[in-house]
Amino acid sequence: MSAIGMIAGGLLNVALVLLAAPLAQGILRKITARIQSRQGPPLLQPYFDLLKLLGKEDIESGEVPGMQRFAACLSLATILAVACLVPMGFFAPMSGAGDIILLIYLLTFCGICTLLAGLAAGSTYSLVGISREMMGMIALEPLFAIALVVGALHTGSLRLDTVLQGSAYNAEGFPWSGILMLGVMLLSFQAFVQRVPFDIAEAETELMEGPLMEYSGPKLALFKYAQMAKLIVYSALFVTLFVPWGSELRFPVGWLFFWLKLSGLVLLVTVVAATHARYRIDQALRFFAGLMGVAFVALILASYGH
Amino acid sequence: MIAREMFEQFKQRFGPRIQRADLPSDSRLFVYIDPLSVRHVCQEIFRELDARYVASIGLDDRPYSGKFLVAHNFAFDKDHLFCGVLAPLPAESPLLDSISDVVPAASWAEREMRDLVGIEPVGHRYLKRLVLPDGWPEGNHPLRKDVPWNSVPAEFDPAREFQFDDPPENCTVVPFGPFHPTLDEPAHFRLYVEGEMVRGCEYRGFMVHRGIEKLAESVMSYNDIPMLAERICGICGCVHNVAYVQAVEEAAALQAPARAEYVRTIMLELERLHSHLLWVGLACHIVGFDTLFMQSFRIREPIMWMAEKISGNRKTYALCVVGGVRWNITSEIAAEMRQVLDKLESEWRPVVAAVSRDKNIQRRTRGVGVADKELVKNAGLIGPVARAAGVDIDCRRDHPYAAYSRLDFDVITAEGGDVWGRLLVRMKEVFESIKIIRQCLEKMEEGPLQLEIKDELPVGRMGLSSVEAPRGESHHFVITGENNRPRRWRVRAPTYQNLQGVPAMIKDQQIADMTISLGSIDPCFSCTDRLETIDLRSGSVKVWSQEELLQLTRKEGVEK
Repeated sequence: MSAIGMIAGGLLNVALVLLAAPLAQGILRKITARIQSRQGPPLLQPYFDLLKLLGKEDIESGEVPGMQRFAACLSLATILAVACLVPMGFFAPMSGAGDIILLIYLLTFCGICTLLAGLAAGSTYSLVGISREMMGMIALEPLFAIALVVGALHTGSLRLDTVLQGSAYNAEGFPWSGILMLGVMLLSFQAFVQRVPFDIAEAETELMEGPLMEYSGPKLALFKYAQMAKLIVYSALFVTLFVPWGSELRFPVGWLFFWLKLSGLVLLVTVVAATHARYRIDQALRFFAGLMGVAFVALILASYGH
Repeated sequence: MIAREMFEQFKQRFGPRIQRADLPSDSRLFVYIDPLSVRHVCQEIFRELDARYVASIGLDDRPYSGKFLVAHNFAFDKDHLFCGVLAPLPAESPLLDSISDVVPAASWAEREMRDLVGIEPVGHRYLKRLVLPDGWPEGNHPLRKDVPWNSVPAEFDPAREFQFDDPPENCTVVPFGPFHPTLDEPAHFRLYVEGEMVRGCEYRGFMVHRGIEKLAESVMSYNDIPMLAERICGICGCVHNVAYVQAVEEAAALQAPARAEYVRTIMLELERLHSHLLWVGLACHIVGFDTLFMQSFRIREPIMWMAEKISGNRKTYALCVVGGVRWNITSEIAAEMRQVLDKLESEWRPVVAAVSRDKNIQRRTRGVGVADKELVKNAGLIGPVARAAGVDIDCRRDHPYAAYSRLDFDVITAEGGDVWGRLLVRMKEVFESIKIIRQCLEKMEEGPLQLEIKDELPVGRMGLSSVEAPRGESHHFVITGENNRPRRWRVRAPTYQNLQGVPAMIKDQQIADMTISLGSIDPCFSCTDRLETIDLRSGSVKVWSQEELLQLTRKEGVEK
């Protein structure tokens, strides 16, 4: 593919994510409201919320304002960079520009932006929040990495377009490792997209939004946008890795099929978030540790070709 | 056991230490004790006779008897008896041995007494200011009779700030409050945190003390005060309204008509229903389970409409006057209430079933914020907090008032003393309240709503009343006086006791459990502080410095 084609494809992905993320959030809020016997906000409300925040005065209230602004921009930029690498119903546009190692690094980078944000803000609650974020990250990030590596082992390639095509099940014989990783990822997915019961670092009723406590206006808008985009991007990653069926169909059908599966995942996230209480950090860590054990078993199985 | 038998026991134990005694009824015993023996007597009553500490009242009785008076109230719940230990103190040196080392639950009450009346608890280990604002001069005690109710001392120093204790080593300080999403009212906990673990805390509340008691004793009349009393709390106001009126009725030996007692019972139980449903919702919100928060508020709403139909208000029912009630339960309202209760019961049952099975909520609440039986005894914890620890106390059964002695209901208890236990107790008490209201509607007979009171109320009589609020026992103590108003009225809201147990409940727990532990006592700071917030308005845009803001708030607060 030509360089221009790659860039155009990447930009298209970014535009898609930026456009669809608030809508997904809107659907999530509407369904949550219905579960809670409420009317709920209009579907387009998240767009207006973002516009409103972006138009507000940029107040500098933390310890290192420059760093705070940087962290806000970086957090959205990182997730959009990930969006360039992940196929959004077509193929991975920037496949030649990076491999899954880059993807793993970029995913970790999202968490680092939160750390940066909390550190620069410097309030006690942000510090407690980032210490939780850090603990969560250490336990969580390897899970996605292992999922990607299992795919890479099966396909024998680190190329994005090869791995991100349901590679988890490409084992010889029954895909034991793929099935195991599917379970692991399903159980930990709420944590990757920072929703209840794993919104521990932000926990409004305990830490008052933790790392984001000192943020308002445009900076908060960027963080919120990044969080919404995260839901889409992670869901897309999940779908390409674990639910590939139907994506090989011709353009409009396969593409629509992809977004249908993605919406299904968003729906699942919503229902789980609406029916659970928040875990405590130690309980969450114990839970992640269990999953990590299973993930390692999957990794070993994958390296023996199962 | 009736008061006379208890008094015989007292005579054997304490002999000549008893100066005189007053037994106005079978369930009340007031003994006047030589001040030097108060500590010993309280210790025996609390430890050996196993009484429950209720409240301490300090009052300035100098205009009448030339002395200060301290009353330590205890309850013998199994014997259905309240006992007041009174000690008259000389006007020139109001000193009394502190009982807080033998009765830890009395710690706050003694500090309050020192702040407001100037009675010095000798030997109290932690005599930091509790109630008065930080700038209030030492030696000025607003509840003394020679201090006008609307005076501001000239030496008031608005710049003085509260001095916190030093945190322990290796601990960082996490300020919790005065404003926090899960605190609905201002209170400040300074948490000493090691990593994620809370190692201790310091509490500063009473931030905007309203001086309701002083106001009542100085300018209001017997029948104004019920309306003031219910403004003590926005959730359990009716409790204070009824408790005050009952205390006055007891002091004046009045008996409200039977129908009025049933109406009081119904309103109190309606209040418990809406309060418990609100609490279950809030507790779920605190642990991040917003769906149940929304659902329990939806289920609760018809109760509010019912209250509005009866009294004209969703809250603040303005129900009682001395000797009766102001609202009637008509047959139409009774019929509608039956329907509302049926619907509530059918909607609440699945919620209770779902929560009882929910592993997720149990994980966040089991073993969290534990108050065991020992803490309940020592800190004088009450209500669902005590019942969740298996301590079977409930004023409705132990010290029956209104129509409760004629009704059949169960006292719900649980084991473990943790947040989970409190959740279970409150959820199940909803069904008991429904049962109680149904019985009231059944048994209530036509009759007058108010007693005709022709004579002035007698002067200098003591009356006390405990009403089981949704959060625990609400205790009111009244001494009748001249000019159609009481000489002294002391309110001890349930949170006043329960809050004193919080530091022990949150110690060595995760910071994440702090909010639900505090939330689980269903704290009601306004009851405790008797406070109000000050509204700040500024037209032009101006950046306020901290000092300016402090100045602004304090200046406004003083001038009003």
